[in-house]
Amino acid sequence: MAETPMLEMRGITKRFPGVLANDNVDFDVFAGEVHTLLGENGAGKSTLMKILYGMYQADEGEILLNGESVDIPSPTVAIEHNIGMIHQHFMLVDTLTVAENVALGLPSSRGFLTDLDVVSEHIVELGEQYGLEIDPAAEVWQLAVGQKQRVEIIKALYREARLLILDEPTAVLTPQEVDQLFDTLRQLTADGRGLIFISHKLHEVLALSNRITVLRQGRVTGNTTTEGATRHSLAEMMVGREVKLAPDKPEVETGGAALQIRDLEVIGDRGNVMVDGLDLDVHAGEILGIAGVSGNGQRELAETIGGLRQSNRGSITIAGVDTTNKPPIEMRHAGLAYVPEGRMKNGSIGAFTVSENLLLIDHADDQFLSRGLYDFGAIREHCQALVEEFAVKTPTLETPVKSLSGGNIQKLILARELSGTPQVLIASQPTRGVDIGAAEYIHKRLVEQREEGTAILVISEDLDEVFALSDRIAVIYEGQIMGVVDPADATREQLGLMMAGIRPESVAD
Amino acid sequence: MRSKKWSWVALVFAVALIAAACGDDDSSTTTSPDAPATTAASGGTETTAAAAEALRIAVVSPSSETDLAFTQSIVDAVNVIAAERGIPEENIDVTENMFNIDDAAAALRDYASQGFDLVIAHGSQYGGSLEEIAPDFPDVSFAWGTAADTKGLDNVFAYEAASDEGGYVLGVMAAALTESNIIGVVGPIEVGDAKLYVDGFVAGAEANNSGATVRVVYTDSFSDVALASEAAQAHVAAGADAMSGTAQMVVGAVSVANDEGVLWFGTQANQSSLGDIVVASQVYKWEVILRDILDNIDNGVLGGEIYVVDLENGGEVIEFNDAYDLPADVRQLAEDTIAGIIDGSISTGG
Amino acid sequence: MSDFFTEAILIATFASGVRLAVPLLLASLGETFGQRSGVLNLGVDGIMLLGAFGGYYTVLKTGNVWYGLIAGIGIGVLFGLLSALISVTLLAEQGISGIGVYLFGLGMSDLLFLKLVGTPTPISKFPKLDIPGLSDIPWLGGMFFQHSVIVYLAFALVPLSTFVINRTTFGMRIRSVGENPEAADSLGVSVAGVRWATVTIGGTLAGVAGATLAIDLGIFQQNLTNAQGFIAIALVYFGAWRPIGVMLGSLLYGFVNALVLQLKTLEVIPPDLSNFAAMAPAIITILALVIVARRFRQPTALTKPFTRGT
Repeated sequence: MAETPMLEMRGITKRFPGVLANDNVDFDVFAGEVHTLLGENGAGKSTLMKILYGMYQADEGEILLNGESVDIPSPTVAIEHNIGMIHQHFMLVDTLTVAENVALGLPSSRGFLTDLDVVSEHIVELGEQYGLEIDPAAEVWQLAVGQKQRVEIIKALYREARLLILDEPTAVLTPQEVDQLFDTLRQLTADGRGLIFISHKLHEVLALSNRITVLRQGRVTGNTTTEGATRHSLAEMMVGREVKLAPDKPEVETGGAALQIRDLEVIGDRGNVMVDGLDLDVHAGEILGIAGVSGNGQRELAETIGGLRQSNRGSITIAGVDTTNKPPIEMRHAGLAYVPEGRMKNGSIGAFTVSENLLLIDHADDQFLSRGLYDFGAIREHCQALVEEFAVKTPTLETPVKSLSGGNIQKLILARELSGTPQVLIASQPTRGVDIGAAEYIHKRLVEQREEGTAILVISEDLDEVFALSDRIAVIYEGQIMGVVDPADATREQLGLMMAGIRPESVAD
Repeated sequence: MRSKKWSWVALVFAVALIAAACGDDDSSTTTSPDAPATTAASGGTETTAAAAEALRIAVVSPSSETDLAFTQSIVDAVNVIAAERGIPEENIDVTENMFNIDDAAAALRDYASQGFDLVIAHGSQYGGSLEEIAPDFPDVSFAWGTAADTKGLDNVFAYEAASDEGGYVLGVMAAALTESNIIGVVGPIEVGDAKLYVDGFVAGAEANNSGATVRVVYTDSFSDVALASEAAQAHVAAGADAMSGTAQMVVGAVSVANDEGVLWFGTQANQSSLGDIVVASQVYKWEVILRDILDNIDNGVLGGEIYVVDLENGGEVIEFNDAYDLPADVRQLAEDTIAGIIDGSISTGG
Repeated sequence: MSDFFTEAILIATFASGVRLAVPLLLASLGETFGQRSGVLNLGVDGIMLLGAFGGYYTVLKTGNVWYGLIAGIGIGVLFGLLSALISVTLLAEQGISGIGVYLFGLGMSDLLFLKLVGTPTPISKFPKLDIPGLSDIPWLGGMFFQHSVIVYLAFALVPLSTFVINRTTFGMRIRSVGENPEAADSLGVSVAGVRWATVTIGGTLAGVAGATLAIDLGIFQQNLTNAQGFIAIALVYFGAWRPIGVMLGSLLYGFVNALVLQLKTLEVIPPDLSNFAAMAPAIITILALVIVARRFRQPTALTKPFTRGT
């Protein structure tokens, strides 16, 4: 490691109205190392990186590049200083080709005409050098997620980035793609580049980083090298207390198949088959986890079971009742509870209050009515009990839901869905974007519900979550179940191959 | 002046709101006494003193007052009457371009509540609005044209033009002057004054020259100048060497006639300024009937009559373009036709 | 019916369609630039009206049609800049702010006409130019190559626009800004700068379209455009945001209009069906829109104002 760090951020403070996003943060990166920035949502990681990349201006503090103080008023200036950023949500123009995306914003060697052939040549060179093969003429919308990420990295390298910020780059990748990415990243550091890696996947952080800095509520709360750090010690630094990463799961006697799916075919928004002849059973008292890379039919499957989407073919049976293509209310009556993937889109109504959201399903229930009018006393009591039971942090029952945090909204939805002791629970991405504390609580509740004898289907792109919760794991790929495995026997690598569409029979050589 | 106008608008709104709030059952009892009462308070008493010397006249019209057609004809007439009667300029008000009927209705109600003595609704499409507005202002006289009935209201005069008569005369002239024996007509929508004129023109042309082909095309728009231009081009392509047309979009067709050296016969206003291919124009002299209407108002009769301008009463005249060298025999033919229509020996019914 | 198939009539019909298409083509080409960059400008018709009056008045006073065209360009640039200020910098709701520009143009062009001119007075038109050689081709010559100069200029803008959008760095920036302004911004492309430029191009071509309409008709009348600016906006959707598509749409609209008119003139369409026939251009265009809308995606960021960090 060189003596002068290539990046030094000193005493960075950034205030937003009502929030101290970064509070006197120090952070540095040496050439040739990966320095991870770890923290929960809202801890201030993104703000710090946006300051570095010129998208925000710090209120206090100073940025030094190779020992010299610099001012970064815009992304353009950041790029000039050889800083590159791989955004969590790809900053790619879908309708442009790979070469156009790379060339965008750069001067052309032919003046006002494009020089895409020149750009393409260089893209191919970079691809060969770093294992980032890509067709420069392909339009971005045609690319798979992993390929899009290659384009993002090539964009930064094309601009001769020496310092690379990677914001949650593995969120959408299969384990194999993650391995491939890490190979590339190691090659980049070997060439003397510095990397800032942002993630909340602890095992990835441990696998890739040289050093780790933990942020909590805008402040640096921990600073460690990778040797000597464990998932537990990192999680504790993030949350500030001891954390259970996997819930205790007592043995439960499983019952009959409460949810039966037979030969289900569902068409997606773009008119293509998203669920393709899928069969699945979930038994009472078990948690079945569905693992898969996003976009392989998970959302469509959950929406179809929940009654938000019509199936083309096949059947769905909930607790013995055929609910195929029935309206959502009939599924509810059959004993279905549904925690949808979009907390704000399908799971709640942002402008409604906490109480109103809690009553969205039961609003016509007799217990809340008195002579045809709402009995506000009974409603209040019911909602207060739920809010307390599920530890939803809200100022009042009349607070609009959109002003709560993601974790609290998720707990609120869970409280609503579990208030009626369901036979079947579908939980789609139950802890995505939720802080570790809330995730821990949600996991605990799901396991408790399993003990009550509910059949639970958990759909998650977070393999750690699937492993921690599931009694069985089904892997979905292009709308089909590639196989069902026991988490006690399965490895990440096996799941990864299945997530990439390779059936276990062909793996077991 | 302006602030007074706005306070009146506000009052009308308030009354309308009360009426709406009271619902259908109550509106007859609540609005009717209210609205006339307010009108009488100001519209009646306040302006009657001034009106003894000079009436106040308002015009609401669908197109521009310089359209060389429909709107210009009534504005010109009102100006003639104003000059005759010494009505000062500030007593005359025109709201043009009211192609939106709701806007027109608002303007009509506004004028009535401001105490204008005569409110002219110059567009057959305003009839429905007038039926609602006129009963609320029994002291205000309305004139509605072109229309052939007063909707049974005793404060509404109706007026129309026997535009078939002038059309017939111009048709006769066109048939006499055409060499290709193909005549083109560009109309807007096949209704009202336009249809009457076009039918008269066709009848005149065919009566005078049985060998002539008269082609009529309605563009189905009063305002599409470009389409009128293309319609004229289509006529020219089909061999027409004489053309006519009606409504405000017709300037597009006249422009083509100019370019192609095709004869043009105008209506609704004197179109001679558009070029020396304009042979003659039928011009409405609405002042002929406005005189009668104002006399009636002076005598306390605010409506109930239906007026027609025609060649006989001088409300319709054929104006020849001095810049066009009209052969004497054709001029004579035109004069004879006019005389024949007036004495009844010629029927324009075709 | 047999009348219709004479050479002269067919040629006249096609020529008429081309003429009707030209103002639409100019306005919709301009609007294409704006929409490709994510800005919907509903004020096109208003700018056309102002350009039409400006062009008309200039020709009336100077007798020179080229000065009229320059007046149209100047007015277009001015109101293009104004539209850009409203929708790009002030981030106004695009569906509403454009209507304001339209109403201003409608009222102001009429007021100026009334105060400065009074009655419609004919002016000189663009000179006709028979393209040497091509204009002598049987049939096609008369349909496409015996027009006024401005017609050829308008059609020449089609390949030019295609080239600019697809083959220049500016065009690449336009497409990126209309599709994913955040991505463009992160690469140092000035989203606001690109949109100012495209909306100004759109305004300029709208002004030219208006001036062309007035000078080609040789006359001005209140509301001369008769909502052609709105049809131009629809044609951008019809043309799937591509200059060539926009051209085909304009020509289709022009041809159907011309055809219906010609068929009415020759009484192939009986007068009592005239009303229905008049709806044909709109219906055909709507049908085409429905079909096209299923195949092509509009620019993702269309109508969405951009501010960094949202």
